[in-house]
This record gives sequence, structure tokens and C-alpha cells, in this order.
Amino acid sequence: MTNLAYASIKTLQELLKKGSINYQDLISFYQKRAQDLSHLGAVLEVFDTPSIKKDIKAIGTLSGIPGYIKDNICQKDRITSCASKILENFTSPYDATVVKRLKESGALMLGRTNMDEFAMGSSGETSAFGKTRNPWNTECVPGGSSSGSAAAVAAGLAPWALGSDTGGSVRQPAGMCGIVGMKPTYGLVSRYGLIAYGSSLDTIGVLTRDVYDNAAVFSAIAGLDLSDSTSLSVQPKDYTSNLDGSIPDNLTIGVVDTALEAEGLHPEIRAANLEAIRFFESKGARVKKITLSTLDYCAASYFIISRAEAASNLARFDGIRYGNRVSSHDLNELYEKTRQQGFGSEVKARILMGNYVLSVGHAADFYNNAQLVRRAIRKEIAQAFQDVDVLVMPSHAVPAFKLGAFDNDKLAMDLQDYFTAPVNLSGVPGLSIPVGFSSDGKPLGMQLIGPHLSESLLYQLGYAYQQETDWHKQHPAL
Amino acid sequence: MKKIDKSEVLKIAHIAKIAVTEQEIEPIINQMQEVLSYAARVVEIATELDDLVSQKNINFFREGLAGTSYPEELLERAPSQEENYFVVPKIIDTK
Repeated sequence: MTNLAYASIKTLQELLKKGSINYQDLISFYQKRAQDLSHLGAVLEVFDTPSIKKDIKAIGTLSGIPGYIKDNICQKDRITSCASKILENFTSPYDATVVKRLKESGALMLGRTNMDEFAMGSSGETSAFGKTRNPWNTECVPGGSSSGSAAAVAAGLAPWALGSDTGGSVRQPAGMCGIVGMKPTYGLVSRYGLIAYGSSLDTIGVLTRDVYDNAAVFSAIAGLDLSDSTSLSVQPKDYTSNLDGSIPDNLTIGVVDTALEAEGLHPEIRAANLEAIRFFESKGARVKKITLSTLDYCAASYFIISRAEAASNLARFDGIRYGNRVSSHDLNELYEKTRQQGFGSEVKARILMGNYVLSVGHAADFYNNAQLVRRAIRKEIAQAFQDVDVLVMPSHAVPAFKLGAFDNDKLAMDLQDYFTAPVNLSGVPGLSIPVGFSSDGKPLGMQLIGPHLSESLLYQLGYAYQQETDWHKQHPAL
Repeated sequence: MKKIDKSEVLKIAHIAKIAVTEQEIEPIINQMQEVLSYAARVVEIATELDDLVSQKNINFFREGLAGTSYPEELLERAPSQEENYFVVPKIIDTK
């Protein structure tokens, strides 16, 4: 009997086709598993069976395959809370484009996953509805902000989940949970229906246990959408079609030495990344060292730009049109109290920081220079891709850390984005794959980063790697 | 980086329409100080970077599309509504 918890999409499709299971069995199985593992805090809501069935719109490439949606992506007539008190009762009036496309592919929406409030955090701890635990070690965080999506997939609550990635929020938790996370090219996946954090950085990404499954879900959501003005004019395609276990001839991998030699990178993550690079060398890839001189300034640039954009994006939560309201007979007091009580402390701090870096006295120093650094890293990365086909960097600086470890060191928490934020600043795609375990059994991840719209190549490389490694086949003892 | 001024943060909080209590303000200022002191490194490197002529951004336009609108459903989501309006506290004193 196949263990359904960790069955791949491919396996589930075969079982469904053979008729040895039906989709209702799958729904019941995953609903029960979510209940049994509710102590992980990965899921905010598991939908009931009749409403899941009601949402089945079509037969398609993902027919009968259940998954979860991060709670900042709108699902029609479902609560979309962003794990914030201010939206705890908000129901979405429409489906995000990605949800609509998944439904059209026949996929089943099982529920909503926990996250850092408004995607602001690197550990899942800022959620207003409880912290998420890492399935590999429940005293530790799963990473964030797509904390629930990563933990759910790693714990076998579903074969796939959607997350969002503004500074690393898909890749870093994927790394810490030992799963695969794709952050696509900016504009390749529609943001319509994604509740905005940093609009020039936000992307929707896919979390799965293996690369093939990731490409299968990605194929359903990627491609032009006229409802998103930043959508790229790229037609949908099948991203699984070139997954044959080979890697392209004459492939050159750029190893970012400034990343692997970075202060604060855990030695076991460095070692696991180097070992994975050796795998590609053994398959005939050439390896070239690449120095990104602006790497050490990217997190700073990202802090400023993301908070500035958040300050303006979160102005819409005012207690007038949707969400919770703290009543008052004075309009200003209504706004101020609603936002004081509706937002958690991290969100408030980021909004204030964003307004600070945009204010007359500080914009020239902070915001304008952050944009200058952004243009510089974009140029540097573009130049690197003249010499190499892909870049390699760790997905995270340290293995999963204990809950509460950074309560008194917010900067250290924010610096979790060190290796991932440059990818968002540049708008290029990054695929995090599991490349090993620490001596105390925690998963370790590596990012494959390619030029704009190189998702097919990244999947091809990740798939080839997984044909000869079994990190992705190991599962937590739960 | 200079020390962040408490009165400035209070002013910004007022502009951002977030009430902050005396208890809340200290940790927020500490967090801002810590993160922005780090972020200030963009100022250091800026002088060494040649700014790039920004790439040509191209705007794409599409025809206006008439979609379904659902004013009632949207209005339903407001904390307070009456007929076709969002209700807010009175802001004009008629006395």
C-alpha cells in the first residue's frame, strides 16, 4: 500500500487513473491527517468535503490532486486573513488568478495555510493565529513567511501548497523543511488576488516534495494574465516536458563565492552546497567562481524597499471597506485604533519604518540609495549570466532554529533573507532544493538561480539532481 | 546612524494612522534603530556605484474589458454600510 501522506502527485495520478483510490478518499485522508497533526500549526482552516467538491470546476492536468493555499492568496467565499487579526473575518469576493487556474486544472483546494502576518517574518512566528512548528523538529521554526505551506508539504498534509516570496518566503522555508520551493521570474505568475506586501518584489511560488511535482503545479499557474498589469507576455507551457534526468551540454554553474564565504553561513550548509555542486560537476558541468560585490548590500536594500512598499500597500486596511473596525465617533481615532489593534507588532514596525524611509528627511539617504543598490545588483547578476548559465547560493544561512531564538534580535531574524533577497531585487527565478541534513537531522537547502524566464532549466537541473539523491525521499518522524 | 527621534516616530505613526502607546513605542524605536542602522550601509556603497541609466521600461496597454462587478458583495464586507454607502463617523460638524 502506498503511503498516501508522502505520495507524489505522479503516484497519486497513477492511483486515481487505476481506480485504486478516488479523489474523495484523498480528501478524507488529508483532512484526517491535518487533524492528527494540528499541533504543527501549519493549517489555519481545513475546508469541509461538500465545499471542496463544490469548487471542482473542471477535469485537467491536476484532477483530484489536493493542496493548500497560503492565506494571503484569495479563494472565493473563503476567509483570507493573511494571519492577521485585522482580516480574521474577511472573505474573498473572487479567486486569485492562480486559484482560478488551479481549479480549472482540476486541483482540489483543501484549505488555508498559516503564515507570518502579512508575509512579514522569516519564521512563522508573527502569525496572529499561532506559531507553526517544523515537522523535522517541533521545537524549531519551519522558516517563513510561507511557514504553514512548507510545514504542511513536509509533513505530508498534501503534495503541494502555494506560497508567496517577496524576499525569500518560499525558498527559505523550503530549505528549512527539506522540500522544493520555486520563486518564479517576477511577472511570470499573476499576482492578481495576492494581498500585496512589496509589489515590486512579490511573487507567488510553489512548494512540493519533489521537483517533478513542483513543475506540474507550476505549469498550471504560470503565464500571461491580463488582470495583472505586471504580467509578462508569456504563454502557459508544460514545465515537466524536459525533465528527463539529463543536464544540458556545456552547462556552466556560477558559484557565488561571496555567498559561500559569507560570515554567518552555517558550515554544514556550506558543505552540503559544495557537495551538490560537485554532483553537477560529475555530470559534466563547468564550475566558475562568481563574485557579487553588492551581495552584502542586498538585504539592506531589500529591507528599505519592502518596508516602503508595505507602508503604502497596507494603508488600505483602515476599518472602512473591509476587515475589522474599532468603532469610534471620531474618524481619525477609528483609523488609528483599528490599525493599532488589528496589526501585530512586526507589521506595525514595518509600516512605520517604511514611512520613515520615505519621509522627506530620509528618502534621499534610504529609499533612493536602496533603489541604486537594487539597480546595481540587477546589473551584476545580469552580467554574471553572460558567463554562466545558473548561479548557486544557499537558501538559508542557518538550519531551522528554535522558536523564540530571535525574539530579542530582530536584525538577526531579518538577515535570514540575506541569500534570497538579491533574487527578488533582480526579478530572476530561484529554485530551492534539499541537499542534505545537518548532524542533528535538520534539512539543508540550496538555491539554483537562473536568468529571467529560465524556470525550465532550473527544473531540469533540480530534477536531474533528485534522480541520484534521496534527500527529498526522507520524511520527518511524526 | 543618528539616534531615531521619538517625536519623529510619533509623528510618522500619526501620519500612518496607527495609535501607539507609551509601552509600544520603545520597542518599535529600538527595532527601527537596529534595522535601519544596518540598512544605512546602502549610503556607504552608494558613492562607489555608478548609477545606471535605467533600462527602458515599456508600458503595455490592453483594451478596457468590461468584467462583472459586484458592488453588493463588496459592500457586504464593510464593517458598517447603509444602502449603497460605506458608513463612517460624522466628519462635518453642522452646529
